[in-house]
Amino acid sequence: MAEGVRVEPDLNFIKFLKKAGGDSMKKCFQCATCSVVCPLSSDNKPFPRKEMIWAQWGLKDKLVADPDIMLCHQCGDCTAYCPRGAKPGDVLGAIRAYAYTHYGFPSGLAKLASNGRNLPILILLPVIIIGLLWLISGGAHIPDAETMRTVGFGHFFGHWEFPWLAKNVAFIDAIFLPAVAFSVFAAYKGVKSMWDAMVEQVAPESDFRPSARQFLVDYLYPSVVEILTHKRFNECGANKDRVKGHLPLLLSFIALFAVTNYGFIRKDIIGIFNPAMHGPIPLYDPFKILANVAAVALLVGMAIIWANRSRLEEEQGAGRTFYDWFLIGEIVTVGVTGFGAEIVRLLGIPSLAYFLYFIHLVSVFMLFFYMPYTKFAHMVYRTFAMAFERFRDSNFVNPAVTDDE
Amino acid sequence: MDKNIRAYICTGCGIGEALDIEALSEVVSGEMSTECKTHEALCSAAGRAMIDGDINEGVNTVVIGACSPRVMQDEFNFGDDKISVRANLRENVVWCAGEDADAEYVQEQAADYMRMACTQADKTELPEAFQLESINKRILVMGGGIAGLTAALEAADAGYEVEIVEKSDALGGKAVNWRKQLPTRAPWNDLEEPSIGDLIKQVESHSNIVVKTGTEVARISGEPGEYLATFKASGTKSEWDAPAKVGVDEQDLIDKGEMEDPNAGLQHYMAANEAGEKFGSVVLATGWIPADVSGYEHLGHGKIANVVTNAQFEAMASKGKITRPSDGKPVESVAFIQSPGGEEDDKDFPYCNSVTSLVALKQAMFVREDNPEAKAYVLYQHMRTPGQMELFYKTAQNDDGIFLTKATVTGVEDKGDGSLMVAARNTLLNEDLLLDVDMVVLAAGMVPTTHDEATINLAYRQGPAFLDLELFDGYADSNFICFPYETRRTGVYACGGVRKATTMEETVDDATGAALKAIQCIESVDRGVAVHPRSGDKTYPEFFFQRCTQCKRCTEECPFGALDDDEKGTPKPNYTRCRRCGTCMGACPERIIGFKDYNVDMIGSMIKAIEVPDDDDDKLRILALVCENDAYPALDMAAMRRHKLNNLVRFISVRCLGSVNMVWIKDALSSGMDGVVLLGCKFGDDYQCHFVKGSELADRRMENIGETLGSLGLEPERVAVRQVAITDYDTIPEVINEFVEEIIELGPNPFKGF
Repeated sequence: MAEGVRVEPDLNFIKFLKKAGGDSMKKCFQCATCSVVCPLSSDNKPFPRKEMIWAQWGLKDKLVADPDIMLCHQCGDCTAYCPRGAKPGDVLGAIRAYAYTHYGFPSGLAKLASNGRNLPILILLPVIIIGLLWLISGGAHIPDAETMRTVGFGHFFGHWEFPWLAKNVAFIDAIFLPAVAFSVFAAYKGVKSMWDAMVEQVAPESDFRPSARQFLVDYLYPSVVEILTHKRFNECGANKDRVKGHLPLLLSFIALFAVTNYGFIRKDIIGIFNPAMHGPIPLYDPFKILANVAAVALLVGMAIIWANRSRLEEEQGAGRTFYDWFLIGEIVTVGVTGFGAEIVRLLGIPSLAYFLYFIHLVSVFMLFFYMPYTKFAHMVYRTFAMAFERFRDSNFVNPAVTDDE
Repeated sequence: MDKNIRAYICTGCGIGEALDIEALSEVVSGEMSTECKTHEALCSAAGRAMIDGDINEGVNTVVIGACSPRVMQDEFNFGDDKISVRANLRENVVWCAGEDADAEYVQEQAADYMRMACTQADKTELPEAFQLESINKRILVMGGGIAGLTAALEAADAGYEVEIVEKSDALGGKAVNWRKQLPTRAPWNDLEEPSIGDLIKQVESHSNIVVKTGTEVARISGEPGEYLATFKASGTKSEWDAPAKVGVDEQDLIDKGEMEDPNAGLQHYMAANEAGEKFGSVVLATGWIPADVSGYEHLGHGKIANVVTNAQFEAMASKGKITRPSDGKPVESVAFIQSPGGEEDDKDFPYCNSVTSLVALKQAMFVREDNPEAKAYVLYQHMRTPGQMELFYKTAQNDDGIFLTKATVTGVEDKGDGSLMVAARNTLLNEDLLLDVDMVVLAAGMVPTTHDEATINLAYRQGPAFLDLELFDGYADSNFICFPYETRRTGVYACGGVRKATTMEETVDDATGAALKAIQCIESVDRGVAVHPRSGDKTYPEFFFQRCTQCKRCTEECPFGALDDDEKGTPKPNYTRCRRCGTCMGACPERIIGFKDYNVDMIGSMIKAIEVPDDDDDKLRILALVCENDAYPALDMAAMRRHKLNNLVRFISVRCLGSVNMVWIKDALSSGMDGVVLLGCKFGDDYQCHFVKGSELADRRMENIGETLGSLGLEPERVAVRQVAITDYDTIPEVINEFVEEIIELGPNPFKGF
């Protein structure tokens, strides 16, 4: 029998992609204009032309193990130049959405979080968890303005004190530490599956693998640096403005991550010895200043991203998908409720402040808990795909010395 | 007609500045004894008024020395009872002179054109149209498929009586076995319910249409306007079957008993069947048959039950859900193979074109229609979806379960349980593929019915079939681009699958065109004028049979089979089959064939009218006989672009190089001219000759004359044929110059001055 790859198109995969923003993918007629304009494309791998026909043919195994899918940051050049309106950029977005679901762990939750129809469930889950804990914590009443001025949201989950930890802090930790830990573990599982699948594609029989140090120093660290500098983003043609939104957003996340850790150390650790640390961080505290600057940066970044996305949809006809807008919605909610709760607290309107604070907790929970399955997952998948790209170009995959030489 | 000739020279468009008009007028009035007037713009109202005034005083033959005969035709047409001859001073002399032209040479050129035009006027007679004694205006349509039915309906709606002859027992042709048909209207996305039923009903209820099913044409004799058709029941033999061609040599052998008569038992081709039916013209719509694709071993057609052709697949699909032929299992996946692949690689199956591409897409949709989970693979080397069909292609492409790729199919294998494995390389997926499918459908192309059989079954001396169809892979057409629907037989118009592999939509266009052509033919015959391409030409070849030697060159060489033999073996012209190219006139060694306004004597006299200086080695004279259809317009266009044309050359336009009689070459050389070049159309595979064979025949005749010249001590190189396309206006000056250089190299004609 003749040699070749047995091909079995997956119609369900095609249906998924069409729904997730890739409805135009079948229009591609393989002219390769996209590969000519794409900065990621090389002579040997006409990206994203080959991905387009794989998508048309429903070859999902090939696509999810293709690092280029993750390396694409949707600059939109291919979509802008496509003579057929096949919108390769959108199709790649849909493929990524599929990949996050495909690698997502546990798969039931991944499927739940990737479908817009499940949005009520996705919201209800943290609302119930946080609401229930609020009710049973005994803090379920609105404080007067005076109390709020001194303790802020410190009594949200009640003000009964453990000897070593504020009850409020304990509840927050009890909710968010497991949630984040679960999310990190799930992300690890997903990235691991992706990495293995990718290795299978490029070097299935390699006896060599990098050491942990090599991995961190040679592959992961340069990738992180590249991400921070937004090097590839700046190569964007059609959507150069996106860096103006994404960069402040990324930096604000880093700043808020630092502030959160500062708060954790100050309140949860130092607070054990000095209960005075439990109250709101004063506005003059450098970290508080950083937090507020970051909050503004986040909101400005999101406004730009929102505008860009809308323009993309209007002018270039990009699809309006749950995948894109769920993440935008989540982050905007986190920013608006977080910053809003702080302002309303300072204005001394406890009921509204509590309401905003509650929504803030719910949205933060959603952002992190669903991270491995939503567009937010690009944070880990893309980072590791970039690391993989360096691995792929290394001598592990391309031995410099062969037996012939 | 008693001629009263007057010549007019126009001084507009630069003619007056470039020439000594007074001297030129003197040539006409003196040497040619013709009164000559000049005007600054002959084509203007004032110019015409001057001529009209003279006509009122009795002038009936006008020589116009002005622009090309290709322009201002209405301005210089003074009515059917007047003769108007043109001397092309503008394009052939002034505009092509070049900036550094020697005025003396240019003046001589102009004088020669005036001499020739005056001679031509002297030798031209007014034509009288040829009328058949009786004419039948019914149209015979052969074939009752979409093409035939549409042609019949169009002609019938236009008021003509039509008879459809269909070989099979029912009307409808291939279309009655379609599940659905390709889109024929906007938005060009969706398959349509077949419209053939409607069409059949319209035809059957039309009062102008008679339908004969189960009937074949045994033979068609006669000529446009009075064709005589004999019919017979399909599949039977008849004494009236069209006889094969028997040439003079074959007839000799038959008479000596050395060869079997291929027409034994058949009526002679000239015999008239009393029981035949009369028609004015014929529409040939006999369609196509699917090509045989069983020759491709690696694809397994004919060996593997589940490998079928597109025609077989369509038949299966029209009967209901598509199932595997081997075991009746409903199909879940089908591979449509458009090109044989294997060693053939890039080639398609024979007779494939856009239609097979579109049919593959249509049938892929059938697969998807029957089962939403089914998969249809289309493996092609060329996907052709021209025009609006691109929209249909897009629809098919957008279907989740239709998978398209360019591919070289290397094999189809039976896996034992009825399912098949298709192997393909060089795919767009950049990988060699293996596909598991239930069925494989091969794109069998559309072979025209004229490929294997005469089909039209004419009782002509040149035989029952169209000639030289191998040039068109068997398709019945004479000149595809310039003259659609026309065949090599005047009065017979082809449409649909017998002319080209067409979609239904194209077929309808085709059939309408062919019906119009059939009507044009009948009406032209009725008026006694040529049908095409010289539409409306009243002249026709006249034969002086007393001097005919029955050599039959005219009969053999006529590209349109216009000549039969009478009882005595003398050529019998059928004037309504004739296209007036004059090939017979060119062929005739006795020079007994000619037209009223175009004959051997006329052109010969024009050649002799050219003044050949016999004492000047620089003033060589070269005759160019130029095809009026392509080369002459190319010369005009070259002049309009002010390209310089060599002024030693004298151009004479001819109807077709096929009409060039060898005696003209002799006339030229014996009058001291130094060379003769024939400028005609390309011939061979992609011929551009309006009359199909003219330039090719001329080329062959020139080879023969070369030998004669050699025996006279003249270099054969003095006579040549050059192929020129109408678009060659930029290169034609060079073509001419090269020839002139060759003649200069040879030196003057040694017979000059004798």
